Amino acid sequence: MQRIFYLVQKEFRQIFRDRAMIGILFVMPLIQITLLGYAITTDVKNVDIVFADLDRTPMSRAFLQRFGHTPYFHPVGVEDDERALPSWLDHGRARLAVVVPTHFQRDIVLGRRPQLQVLVDGIDGNTAGVSLGYLTRIAQQYQSDIIAHDPSLGLRLRDIRLTETETRFLFNPMMESKAYVVPGIVALILLIITVFLTSMGIVREKEIGTLEQLTVTPIRASQLILGKVIPFSILGFVEITVAMGFIYLIFGIAVEGSVLLLFAESAVFVLTTLGVGIFISTISETQQQALFVGWFFMIFAILLSGFFIPIANMPDAVQYLTYLNPLRYFLVILREIYLKGTPLSLLLPETLAMMAFGIGVFGLAVLRYRNVLR
Amino acid sequence: MQTEHAALRSDEAGSASLSSAAQPAVHAEQLTKRFGAFTAVDELSLTVAPGEIFGFLGANGAGKTTAIRMFCGLIPPTSGEARVAGYDIRREAHQVKQNIGYMSQKFSLYEDLTVAQNIEFFGGIYGLSRCAIAEKSDVLLDELQLQKRRGLLTRSLPLGWKQRLALGVAMLHDPSIIFLDEPTGGVDPISRRNFWRLIHDIAGRGKTVFVTTHYMDEAEYCGRLSIMYEGRIIEMGQPGELKDKYGKKTMQDVFIQLVTGNGSVTGNGSVTESGAVTDSGGKRDGRDTRLTTGDAS
Repeated sequence: MQRIFYLVQKEFRQIFRDRAMIGILFVMPLIQITLLGYAITTDVKNVDIVFADLDRTPMSRAFLQRFGHTPYFHPVGVEDDERALPSWLDHGRARLAVVVPTHFQRDIVLGRRPQLQVLVDGIDGNTAGVSLGYLTRIAQQYQSDIIAHDPSLGLRLRDIRLTETETRFLFNPMMESKAYVVPGIVALILLIITVFLTSMGIVREKEIGTLEQLTVTPIRASQLILGKVIPFSILGFVEITVAMGFIYLIFGIAVEGSVLLLFAESAVFVLTTLGVGIFISTISETQQQALFVGWFFMIFAILLSGFFIPIANMPDAVQYLTYLNPLRYFLVILREIYLKGTPLSLLLPETLAMMAFGIGVFGLAVLRYRNVLR
Repeated sequence: MQTEHAALRSDEAGSASLSSAAQPAVHAEQLTKRFGAFTAVDELSLTVAPGEIFGFLGANGAGKTTAIRMFCGLIPPTSGEARVAGYDIRREAHQVKQNIGYMSQKFSLYEDLTVAQNIEFFGGIYGLSRCAIAEKSDVLLDELQLQKRRGLLTRSLPLGWKQRLALGVAMLHDPSIIFLDEPTGGVDPISRRNFWRLIHDIAGRGKTVFVTTHYMDEAEYCGRLSIMYEGRIIEMGQPGELKDKYGKKTMQDVFIQLVTGNGSVTGNGSVTESGAVTDSGGKRDGRDTRLTTGDAS
């Protein structure tokens, strides 16, 4: 116990000796949260949109005006002839073109079904799909406003559209991607701190020979491992606490569920990443090697976690591979606790999977460590 | 300190320790270490008595470091037996470690901790109490005249001081045997001399010093020597005995005679690594049968 205390004390002295390190520890999460939160966004805003109003009636104009009042669209022009529209798209001056047909107003009044034609620049499939969705909602909104104003007209219109779908987005009502992305950053920070600092910390001692010096002392391998693992876990937890503070300050997103549960789940996750960190240190002789192997693991972990790419979009074989990824489970857990306040009972499958992985990797790492150190 | 010159005469120190009849400090029986097809240490057998300064001489790659690492429990032997401080290096590695100090050629304290923090840390690792650490570090800092520099980062010390500090740290737990693996590599002659005074002080306190070197002037300071060549001990004895046996004035000449079979090199400085110590050089005359076993190039 006393030996572990001295190891932890030494580790903290070394960490805080290094000014740059303190900067990395506290500035890094701030930058990551800000950058990732704002930059990695699947929200679609200010889509350049061009119209061809073939009807030129009060109703068609009122309809088009609505596009100017939302943050999602940015009207760039109105043409008289629909044949002028493709060139807007071809030259990239607009990403969306809407043709309001002749007799738009007449068809509405008569209860016929006017049809809008929409041309979409499909290069960015995500933006295209999302903006098309916005457009549909504006059209629906317009329709229901007419019904509200003129009940008689409404009756006829209701014949046209017998059912109307209404979608509500719970938990993330604005469909803001930052609410989805930002809690994930907590996981990334934990991942980076624990995998890199642990593996490089051990390998550095290998390089400078202090590990050998420690090995000739009566210290046990398990004590040595705890002496490395405890400080970096503490650091990891300080980091995520700082990160959660920044997330609240910058984005106003607070933890919906139990913070305690969030920390407990983080501890299970950290077991897996520390295990990976120690494992990397046993197969690396130099810090460069440790860095490379660490990056390899990180990229695998992040890409196959659902952080950027939804797992459901991946090929089947790759989807099975993601079950080996602790980050996959932790991201789900984090978002559930952060955004929904989900209790542990509903997170058990993920928690158990993560725990199994953690115990496995950590055990393997410790075994290898003993063999390497003897 | 006034007796340093007497102490530095190797012969006295050697004869005193050899007479000790106690349990040997280090005892190896056909200790062997192979790395794949390469045999680094080949059936090494030796006995070192308590209080001896036992020198391990040999070219780079002769197997000295491998042997010392086995004694310290850093690597397991492939075959053979060894006991250090009476404990089996295989089965009782933990007790061995409790009773030895080890200092390698590579400076291995934490450069980014202060002098005092290094002492505190290693004291703690060796299981000393807080009081004992404070007491020991005061004594050690006084001895090394580092009291004023205790708050300095270890990185900023000159190499000679670092090595003396490393030796002090390796002895915090008062081990009975100290293994020094080329402790004076890269250090200037004055610092080396100071370091050897320290080694003799330590031996004077009844501790066993097991030291490897390839500086031949240092070999003269040892109580007893073994000369290693290609994993085997090819000669062992007190420096005086060996010089008489081969009719040479210095250990350097004895070493060259043994390793190359050609004793014509003169001089009394240290042997450079590229000089006499290379394995590829001289012809062997086969006068000494032990030499032919190597059968090099």
